[in-house]
Amino acid sequence: MPGFTHLHTVSGFSLRYGASHPERLAERASERGMDALALTDRDTLAGSVRFAKACAKAGVRPLFGAELAVAAPTAAAGDESVRRERRRTPVRGGAFIDESTPRVTFLARDGSRGWADLCRLVSAAHTAPGLPLLTWDDNHADGLTVLLGPDSDVGRALAAGRPDRAARLLAPWREVYGDALRLEAVWHGREGTGPGSLRLAARTLGLAAEQGVRPVLSNAVRYADPGLGPVADVLDAARRLVPVDPAKGLDSGEAWLKGEGAMLAAAERIVEAAGFRRETAPRLLEQTRATAAECLVDPEDDLGMGSVHFPEPHLVGAGRRTAQRTLASRAAAGMVLRGHAGRREYWERMHRELDIIAHHGFASYFLTVAQVVDDVRDMGIRVAARGSGAGSLVNHLLGIAHADPVEHGLLMERFLSKERVVLPDIDIDVESARRLEVYRAIIGRFGTERVATVAMPETYRVRHAIRDVGAALSMDPAEIDRVAKSFPHIRARDARAALDELPELRELAGERERYGRLWELVEALDALPRGVAMHPCGVLLSDASLLTRTPVMPTSGEGFPMAQFDKDDVEDLGLLKLDVLGVRMQSAMAHAVTEVERATGERIDLDAVPEGDPATYGLIRSAETLGCFQIESPGQRDLVGRLQPSTFHDLVVDISLFRPGPVAADMVRPFIEARHGRAPVRYPHPDLEEPLKGTYGVVVFHEQVIDIVAVMTGCGRGEADRVRRGLSDPESQGRIKVWFAQHAAARGYDAETIQRTWGIVEAFGSYGFCKAHAVAFAVPTYQSAWLKAHHPAAFYAGLLTHDPGMYPKRLLLADARRRGVPVLPLDVNKSGVAHRIELVSESSQGEAWGLRLALFDVHGISEAEAARIADGQPYASLLDFWERARPSRPLAGRLAQVGALDAFGANRRDLQLHLTELHRGARGGRGDQLPLSGGRKTASAGLPDLTPEERLSAELGVLSMDASRHLMDDHGTFLKELGVVSARRLREARHGETVLVAGAKAATQTPPVRSGKRVIFSTLDDGTGLVDLAFFDDSHDACAHTVFHSWLLLVRGVVQRRGPRSLSVVGSAAWNLADLLRVRQEEGLEGVAARLAGADGSRDGDPGDGPARRRLAGSDGRPAPAGSAARDPMEDRRIRMPTGYEMHPWADLRPAGEGPAVGRKLWHQSPGSAG
Amino acid sequence: MTILCVRFQLPPMYEAALPGLLGLLEEFTPVVQALPPDGALADLRGAERYFGRTAVELASVIRVRALALHGVDCVIGAGPGPMLARMALRDARPGVTRAVAGDEVRDFLAGKPVAALPGVGARTARTLCEYGLDTLGRVAAAPLSTLQRLVGARAGRELREKANGVDRGRVVPNAVSRSLATERPFTRDELDPGRHRRALLSAGEELGARLRALDTVCRSLTLTVRYADRTATTRTRTLPEPTAHSAALSAAAYGLYEALGLQRARVRAIALRAEGLGPAEQASHQLTFDPVDEKLRRIEEVADRARAKFGPRAVMPGSLAA
Repeated sequence: MPGFTHLHTVSGFSLRYGASHPERLAERASERGMDALALTDRDTLAGSVRFAKACAKAGVRPLFGAELAVAAPTAAAGDESVRRERRRTPVRGGAFIDESTPRVTFLARDGSRGWADLCRLVSAAHTAPGLPLLTWDDNHADGLTVLLGPDSDVGRALAAGRPDRAARLLAPWREVYGDALRLEAVWHGREGTGPGSLRLAARTLGLAAEQGVRPVLSNAVRYADPGLGPVADVLDAARRLVPVDPAKGLDSGEAWLKGEGAMLAAAERIVEAAGFRRETAPRLLEQTRATAAECLVDPEDDLGMGSVHFPEPHLVGAGRRTAQRTLASRAAAGMVLRGHAGRREYWERMHRELDIIAHHGFASYFLTVAQVVDDVRDMGIRVAARGSGAGSLVNHLLGIAHADPVEHGLLMERFLSKERVVLPDIDIDVESARRLEVYRAIIGRFGTERVATVAMPETYRVRHAIRDVGAALSMDPAEIDRVAKSFPHIRARDARAALDELPELRELAGERERYGRLWELVEALDALPRGVAMHPCGVLLSDASLLTRTPVMPTSGEGFPMAQFDKDDVEDLGLLKLDVLGVRMQSAMAHAVTEVERATGERIDLDAVPEGDPATYGLIRSAETLGCFQIESPGQRDLVGRLQPSTFHDLVVDISLFRPGPVAADMVRPFIEARHGRAPVRYPHPDLEEPLKGTYGVVVFHEQVIDIVAVMTGCGRGEADRVRRGLSDPESQGRIKVWFAQHAAARGYDAETIQRTWGIVEAFGSYGFCKAHAVAFAVPTYQSAWLKAHHPAAFYAGLLTHDPGMYPKRLLLADARRRGVPVLPLDVNKSGVAHRIELVSESSQGEAWGLRLALFDVHGISEAEAARIADGQPYASLLDFWERARPSRPLAGRLAQVGALDAFGANRRDLQLHLTELHRGARGGRGDQLPLSGGRKTASAGLPDLTPEERLSAELGVLSMDASRHLMDDHGTFLKELGVVSARRLREARHGETVLVAGAKAATQTPPVRSGKRVIFSTLDDGTGLVDLAFFDDSHDACAHTVFHSWLLLVRGVVQRRGPRSLSVVGSAAWNLADLLRVRQEEGLEGVAARLAGADGSRDGDPGDGPARRRLAGSDGRPAPAGSAARDPMEDRRIRMPTGYEMHPWADLRPAGEGPAVGRKLWHQSPGSAG
Repeated sequence: MTILCVRFQLPPMYEAALPGLLGLLEEFTPVVQALPPDGALADLRGAERYFGRTAVELASVIRVRALALHGVDCVIGAGPGPMLARMALRDARPGVTRAVAGDEVRDFLAGKPVAALPGVGARTARTLCEYGLDTLGRVAAAPLSTLQRLVGARAGRELREKANGVDRGRVVPNAVSRSLATERPFTRDELDPGRHRRALLSAGEELGARLRALDTVCRSLTLTVRYADRTATTRTRTLPEPTAHSAALSAAAYGLYEALGLQRARVRAIALRAEGLGPAEQASHQLTFDPVDEKLRRIEEVADRARAKFGPRAVMPGSLAA
């Protein structure tokens, strides 16, 4: 067996330690002629599945292991000599991360037993408080090989020059592991006797000879290639939270995946230093090889990859019958219950589905999901199935999915078919606020030995990489912050490319040299895991053997068991994953319903709201759908305005159309033309009328592609679904084309029809949308729109309480004001913990309900404080409030600032003073001496009251919302001077008119668009409505930076009209309005003019003709050459999708800056502002 | 407007030039108060009549002389009292003396932020701003009782008087400077306690040498540690006895530093300030039977002389030499 086997190799999954991805390690091992490679990550097995897959690809045999911190045996713990005194708590900066525990490498040896032992050890290590630590009691296993290296207690004793102590420490290890113990020698060319030194390696060898333990050679690999030492230093610094200190010793740069020659040379040096003959070196390598050969864990058989494990049938209500029989009888019961018993097509479909389920043996799975859904529903939590699972009638009959798949034309085959071999997946939506309750219920039902949540590694992207590298290089924190925030949320490896190409980074690119090695190191960190979090929705369900196949660690907050594998790994391992998604809209709607019931006594059953309600569709058609599920984004509001939905089916289509695929394949325009009768409906062939009728001949749904393929070729729908999946892969696409043409021709279709149909199928690619998804989405969409139309106050109360959607809360508040819902200020005597509705006036026309702001929106309020204030209502006086609600001093101050205490008299500053004295009095123990006069009213102290500006500023600072009025209202005069068009007046603007608009930035996106260009979409809110903006490539040089990094914007642009309700402004110049306002105040209009003439925006006066276009224009000033002649360098980097759809490399990313503004940032900070 | 507040534009660490510059002021009036490290107050009440010029004119003369004799430029503010002169100085530029006349005091003060008032520190300013009293005009308008509730009885009364332009201070000649400071910046985020201690040692040495050169002793020592995020920790300790002995200062600085227990804090600078300066001859010194102390002090004396002769780096502790 040639080649050296590295037994001690860590990948990037060793958080902030390893510098290479497991895939890279496997590749390099193969390139350097190695037959096998071990992966022994620190405290985790998370990289194992990827490693196994990468090894299979590279032709290298994988060995699995882990490096764990091990506590000393209890006997040695009494050793007083090494105990250090406890250090003083630092006043600043925190304590050092204690990494002093000895670490030992464990390798799985004995097939599945070895893997199970490894999982058990890793799980046990994670039960320790603080950093993972394996106690000595847990430290035993039959299927493992143990390497004691330089970092083990034995190695440390040797490094300290205490071979006697090393021999004593070795004894307990031999007792437990006997023959499976190895001593690991590592030489990194270091001086002295520490880890990596030649002397320590020699001493290790000496001890091995003396004690009769077999030695192995390793290189303690941290990175795949030479030259990555500085990256390791940065990772060390990031892990220890200290800067890199060259004086403290850097990484040796030797810990890379060395080839056999280098390792043999190392072995020779070590054996010579140990006093043996040089010829013994190959024997050391031989020992290493033999150890590797013993470790036999097969990814398929032993890790359980490729097999499926469901919870035992008796746990899901199957009792003594088989799962399949139980499922069949429950489905039949569902038929009767839902009134389908008399319909033959339902029975046939049910039996066909049950056959498919039986074919795969998935009956337990369906019962498991049904059990979970039943449990959730019993807890009174709103639950709905989403995803392709909604296409199964059995799911509907079991009560998992609401929508009737037969009625909506949903296909089982999209979800599960005999031809499909992957695990089906059913996602269920629950109220986000109660998601963790659902998890607890699932764990309670199936037990911790069968349930685990799924991990989600957080990997380095550019911003985090800059922060960590900057901190390691001792950069100024303010500077790091500025640099990091300048970047959009892109991959770290694109940092330098982005600097070259992105217009908003131009300023930063000018000073890039100042940062030296920063960029290089930032790119080196790309995609390395930097932490691990609980996946927001995945739950693993398995049989009782889960813990022998998966290492589990507790999640940081709630202590749920969490498997170390991520969602892809889990699928590869054949573990059943149920996605339980917390949907904030469900919580918001639940809150709205409870509020209505609390205030009016009226009970609303959202699942039974009347279909086809005209008011609801009227609201949707008006495109004022802020806050409505799925249809609130600027693009969707535009689409809804053009599409004018009037039925549930229209909503389904609308949701499906607004996806990158359909937008890219240009399905939107033909659909809308056909829908409004402006273009005739065309079908490639009359046979295809049936599947395409509902969408005017345009392919929108996956189900339609399946049907087209099935009709044209005559293959079953199951096969057709497989074909549809194959379309996304360019290789198989060619094969499918031939196959499709043959079969369709055989069915008697003429060549032209075949070609046209294939054109549609091909263009559609794998895009489009699963109709089952869309139906599942459309239900809450309709429900939320219904609530908005009929119970607006409660709807906003729900939205603000659970904060769903893409817009900041203050925008929802502005929307509420626009829709005539009175916004009632915070009041400690009236506000609840959450947002509430309140009767404002009652008249013959009906009742007017207002929205009362909630206590929990106050900055820094704790749950207990909010509950205490709400429970103690009403309060008679300030003193009463202070004594019973016991708010903290800063909280009380904030409440006074926003006027929540106005009911107690005096002005807000006087109230603050009284509160301070109450606080002082309570501290000084002066008892209950009253600093108040006039009984229940609070005496005035003669302090100046907050000005209206200060009040607004306080509201933004404390509530992050402009509660009393819109923040743009104050700038009216200046905007009038500029001639800014308000959002309301913009609706009357002509197409092509050049206008000035202004407002607070609400959302900014750079989604992928059809042209493959990067377009910045932004939404401004000016109090009278929303203005949707688009900035195209040619204005980016001038505008991008301003748009991303300002909160208040003034934009010049051209009105684009595409329909009666569809309107946007194409921006050509943008200014930071906050700056201009300041200039106006300080220097007057002349200053503003100077500013407009100079720095910001496009420099000359021609609108729509940014520098980019000027750059392209010829020197004679004629228009730029079109098409291929006018290529800019970015086009070469365009991401080309398999179907020919091009994507701009920087599109579809969270843009630079800090996202929509909340709170303070929208307000200039005056020295006199309160707080 | 007979009081001048002068700030000489001395480069840092050139405090030694201040006595000479004070001498220049003393040619005009005997009532000169030093405001170390680089300023002085001068009462020109007698001088105006003696020289037959107004204070503003004299200010120009002073500036010309300072430039001619010492090559040092200066900024001058003039006002009816020391407080107003100091505040006027903030508005002055080299060559433009800002003078506040007695009748424009209220207008001058009204628009100023509270923090501009001498004696109003960051804390008081924050308290006042929190209650909307962000300018002196508003402070002057607020009821006395409210001010006293905000900042305390005496401070409130004084604050109100000052905000109204009542300046009760006077220029006290020969007031010794009250503190000396030195700072040791690091080029990178420094976590190593060894290097921190070296910085403390060298700062202690420097302060001791400077104190001894002025024949003064200090009563207490303040340590300020500045961090990478621009925050700082400050601790003050009163020395067992007033001293200018470098070893004693360094030992006190070590004590202050150890009490912080810093581990991962990214230290960017360490500053040491000797406070409560007094004349050396009035300081008491506890004698001991231990001859080491005596020897150390004598060595220090010798080292001081060597340094006076061969430059400040002629003699230094071994650990700083590397």
